[in-house]
Amino acid sequence: MISAYLTLGILLLALMGWRHRQAEPGHREIAVRGWRQMRPLLVRIPIALLAGSFLAMLIPRELVAGLLGEASGMQGILIATVLGAIMPGGPMITFPIALALIGAGTGMAQMVTLITAWSVLALHRVIAFELPALGWRLTGIRLLACLILAPLAGILTLLLAGLRG
Amino acid sequence: MAHDSEHEKPRPGPPLLDGSTLFFVLLALAAGLAVLIVRGPEAFQSALGDGLGLLILILPIVVAAVLVGAYVQAMVPREAMERWLGGRSGLRGLLLATAAGSLTPGGPFAAFPLVLALYRSGAAIPVCVSYLTSWSVLGINRALVWELPLLGAEFTLTRLLVSLPLPVIAGLLTWALMGRLRERPA
Repeated sequence: MISAYLTLGILLLALMGWRHRQAEPGHREIAVRGWRQMRPLLVRIPIALLAGSFLAMLIPRELVAGLLGEASGMQGILIATVLGAIMPGGPMITFPIALALIGAGTGMAQMVTLITAWSVLALHRVIAFELPALGWRLTGIRLLACLILAPLAGILTLLLAGLRG
Repeated sequence: MAHDSEHEKPRPGPPLLDGSTLFFVLLALAAGLAVLIVRGPEAFQSALGDGLGLLILILPIVVAAVLVGAYVQAMVPREAMERWLGGRSGLRGLLLATAAGSLTPGGPFAAFPLVLALYRSGAAIPVCVSYLTSWSVLGINRALVWELPLLGAEFTLTRLLVSLPLPVIAGLLTWALMGRLRERPA
């Protein structure tokens, strides 16, 4: 948690310093825009957190640890790909569920795979936004090209963990 | 699909409480009730305490993350992005698309119209795919607001690190796929 504070603090200071040398828009205007974006989050995040911690109590731990735990390896990565692709909804739904799944014993590589699959394949988003906006051809090519990305991210995480020892 | 069930609110609603938020309120209530019944009042209290404790830790992060997002938006306006990417291709185009995608804030309603505009203004399809992939796996805004506070810095940084090459890989794969599909009419 402390590293999260530090990361953000440094990032924010760097951006503010960089911005200081530019003219429009000023710090005040940027802060107003930020506040406008934050208002809905102040409602959503508490609800999402509560739902996440309740769901964590209900998720069958042994089942999750068996299917998606560190020891599940490649099979867990493939299961995570499918789960991520069909997981409906935006970040407000996905991240609390991810939190609950990690609490129930999901491995790092499997969770990276799940989040990546949810990010790039997101079938609900394809149906709701992408097909109407971009059409079948563009969407189809994109999905084909992106099929392997989620397992690839999982494998890279495994390799990274191996490098760290 | 049913066509004539009950009518929802006519407008998508004010930003404070929309349909999905309401759904999640219900989900939280249902899950809370289920915990109370299945696991008992002690587990319920401990889950409630966990959630509220995490909330206090997270709030400063959310405030800082949203501010970072607002600064990034001020840095890279949408017109600049269209200008950068329109008509570009090759590895340089894919790399630029990766950078632009990770900086694009907002949900799908912001990203897809931008891609459509890019495509119409002459951006190559692999560039569009790289952009969308980057927006979805490297999107800084979502990572800071949701992932960093909920899943922690180590997880978030690891995921971002392994995701760095993905947009370019997706672009190259698209390029290869299009070579195979060339027979088809565009």
